[in-house]
Amino acid sequence: MPPRAPDPDDDGLAERLRQIVGDRRVLVRPGELRAYESDGLPGYQLRPSIAVFPGTRDETIAVVRLLAERGVPFVPRGAGTGLSGGALAEGVVLLGLHRLTRIITIDAENQRAVVEPGVVNATLTRLASAHGLHYAPDPSSQTACTIGGNVAENAGGPHCLKYGVTLDHIVALTVLLPNGAIVTLGNDDGEQEGYDLLGAFIGSEGCFGIALDVTVRLVRDPQAVRTLLADFPSVMAAASAVSAIIATGIVPAALEMMDNATIQAVEASIYAAGYPTDAAAILLIELDGAAAGIDDDVARVARLCDDAGARGVRTAADAAERARLWQGRKKAFGAMGRISPHLVVQDAVVPRTRLPAVLAEIQAIGERHHVNVCNVFHAGDGNLHPNIGYDSSDPVQAQRVHDAMSEIMAACIAAGGTITGEHGVGLDKLPYMDALFTAPTLHAMCALRDVFDPDHRANPGKVVPVHSCREWHSVRPPVAGRRP
Amino acid sequence: MAQRATAGRGPASVNPETTAQVVACVRDARAAGTPLRIVGAGGWLDAGAPCTAGEHLRLWGINGIVEYEPGDLTLTAQGGTRLIDIERATAEHGQWLTLDPVGYPYGTLGATVATGSYGPLASAFGTPRNQVLGCEVVTGIGDVVRAGGRVVKNVAGFDVTRLMVGAWGTLGVITEVTVRLRARPEVDQTVVVALGGTDGVERAHRWLRTTEFTPLAAELVSPALAERLGFATLNADLLLLRLGGNEALVRAARHAAAALGDLMVPDDGIWTALTSLGMTHSHKASLRLSGAPAGIAALWAATRRAIEPAGGLAHSTLARGVVRCLLPMDDDASVARLRGILSALPKATRIPERLPAELWAPAAADPVLASLRQGVRRAFDPDLLLNPGIMGTA
Repeated sequence: MPPRAPDPDDDGLAERLRQIVGDRRVLVRPGELRAYESDGLPGYQLRPSIAVFPGTRDETIAVVRLLAERGVPFVPRGAGTGLSGGALAEGVVLLGLHRLTRIITIDAENQRAVVEPGVVNATLTRLASAHGLHYAPDPSSQTACTIGGNVAENAGGPHCLKYGVTLDHIVALTVLLPNGAIVTLGNDDGEQEGYDLLGAFIGSEGCFGIALDVTVRLVRDPQAVRTLLADFPSVMAAASAVSAIIATGIVPAALEMMDNATIQAVEASIYAAGYPTDAAAILLIELDGAAAGIDDDVARVARLCDDAGARGVRTAADAAERARLWQGRKKAFGAMGRISPHLVVQDAVVPRTRLPAVLAEIQAIGERHHVNVCNVFHAGDGNLHPNIGYDSSDPVQAQRVHDAMSEIMAACIAAGGTITGEHGVGLDKLPYMDALFTAPTLHAMCALRDVFDPDHRANPGKVVPVHSCREWHSVRPPVAGRRP
Repeated sequence: MAQRATAGRGPASVNPETTAQVVACVRDARAAGTPLRIVGAGGWLDAGAPCTAGEHLRLWGINGIVEYEPGDLTLTAQGGTRLIDIERATAEHGQWLTLDPVGYPYGTLGATVATGSYGPLASAFGTPRNQVLGCEVVTGIGDVVRAGGRVVKNVAGFDVTRLMVGAWGTLGVITEVTVRLRARPEVDQTVVVALGGTDGVERAHRWLRTTEFTPLAAELVSPALAERLGFATLNADLLLLRLGGNEALVRAARHAAAALGDLMVPDDGIWTALTSLGMTHSHKASLRLSGAPAGIAALWAATRRAIEPAGGLAHSTLARGVVRCLLPMDDDASVARLRGILSALPKATRIPERLPAELWAPAAADPVLASLRQGVRRAFDPDLLLNPGIMGTA
């Protein structure tokens, strides 16, 4: 039997929740819930039945145990900045964790911090900076998104090219399972014995439980940083510079591409960074590390850009200019948002040698469907973000965007890529999972979810298509002693 | 059909050459109720992990590079492919797989991933966990699961790939792996410093924590182990530093490292000599101790005190807070003696590598963790067909 959707008026659930978290932290009226009907994925308005916002670890545990007792499904939510619809909750309880903002420790000696899941990514880095440390994964939403959400999505960001994604920066988690039990995954010693359940939990999109606290690895601030802006007459020229740089063995801290449409949007906004508005594409390249030898690498990268046909390469003169160049990149989505009511920020990855061909194909798909695709992405990883601005209230436009995005996903899969590099599957990418994975692979994912959440109450209906889990259950007898 | 060999002494074995044949082997074994021992190059067979399987499923026929596009810096190879063959293929393009696992030098990619093995390069590049992008496995029910992908960033679906790393084949027979490659640094140079004085290790650790340089490897070696690497007369802990980057960077790094003491330049083979050490002489028992990085000097000292009276050797990947112990195991009395040594070791997370079966027992896990582990095992291998006993899940 599927888990029951709660009715706030029916069984006194809202009242019980209020007893745990206080009256103001439980929302049930449609007007109050409106703010929680959407996350960063446009075009959806799905209303939770109840939204509850615990303020402490103990309250969170009590809430989850109450929901477990009653068999009520729930959707964990951090800052709601996710771009795949992972925090959308239709008719179930929305469990907001953004009030859990305690920094439990910053241990400079071991280069670690222990934080609650609601701590904002950029806040952690700001606090760590007093020790010459920072938290390396830096999604564009880092001034708003939470560490708990980053763990759920295995979030990336521009600097993951050199420093690795969230998975590479989490030492341990205290996890509250959907049934209310608490378990530590990973450990403070660093190495874990037994199966890598920590690795399995990271990126599980809220389907395996809630991280009550997160032990992260902090990275030392580099001694030297150089940020280059290279200006190209064509996207293809920029893409070939990317390949050339990657092939040298120099690993830039970040290697980002923005196309003309993106540059125009940024330069017309308050985030104007001084990008050349007539460039077909720019690369934002950051090198960091020891000061010794860094300028040799800078010179080499600049030469490779020249060889690929760059019209010019300049290096940020100081920290202020560097910050401005990066602000333009990080706020590019915001800048695009000014132009149209809604913006789909797409996310896919292709092998790096396929970048030029796939970018050309994306452009052709856009033209065919009469939508404007702007590209701003992590070129060094082959992690594309083709974005389309539109008005989701216009069904014709919405259909065109949908069709174009489906074709873009198909093109990325055909090129040997994947449907998401850092945003997650959520609701948005569910339709593509069958194209990417075989049935037995999806079954294995269902089986893994069953281990953490046999009743599928945590973020139900996300990540793995429901039909593949049904198939799975129809061919596998339930494990003895477990609820079907 | 996979070739089956049952004649002669030793366990029966099957030698599949394709994934489809592995599927058939697993299904046959399942139907017959015969547990399987999964074997790559055979280097881990004497690791001592308590495995009760009778029949050997040998993967040496599942061997070869499937896809290698140098510009992508990724490589897909079959599970039985030897690391040395990957090294050769990638070196032609100035690239490398930055895994130098301890153990036999002819080890396979599948076994490296299955055992989560790593070596000194983990200091800069992490372990297989950080370098495997995807894999194909045959589960205990004979399903072919293709997890992850061939691109360097991927969050599509639940991370089945991560589960396979370090699972010792108990969740699936690894038939194919995709790994991340790196371009070789322009300069790759190793220097050795003898750490004199009572605070030598602490100084080396502090230097690593504060220097602006990130060595490719920074490995601490005990005096007794140093002797076996050809540094007989120094009677001090050694720090092996592998420096990589452009010329100016490596020159500056060498200059900075000289603050720790006189720099010596070792033979080219020193890293291989270190990683293969336990295999070629009497110190065949090994385990790792993992502690918080800041406590590494204390962990190192306590470990040396515990193992050296019995002739043990130690080295440490300082940046990871890990000390690896190599312990003598050469006669019938070894088990009792090893038991004594283990009981004297300092408190830290213990990861067994090669120990007699009776000493392999994992630490008791908390009940919730134990039930998750069992659940994962049952999800992928409900009949406990694959390497039963290893991972303490029999």
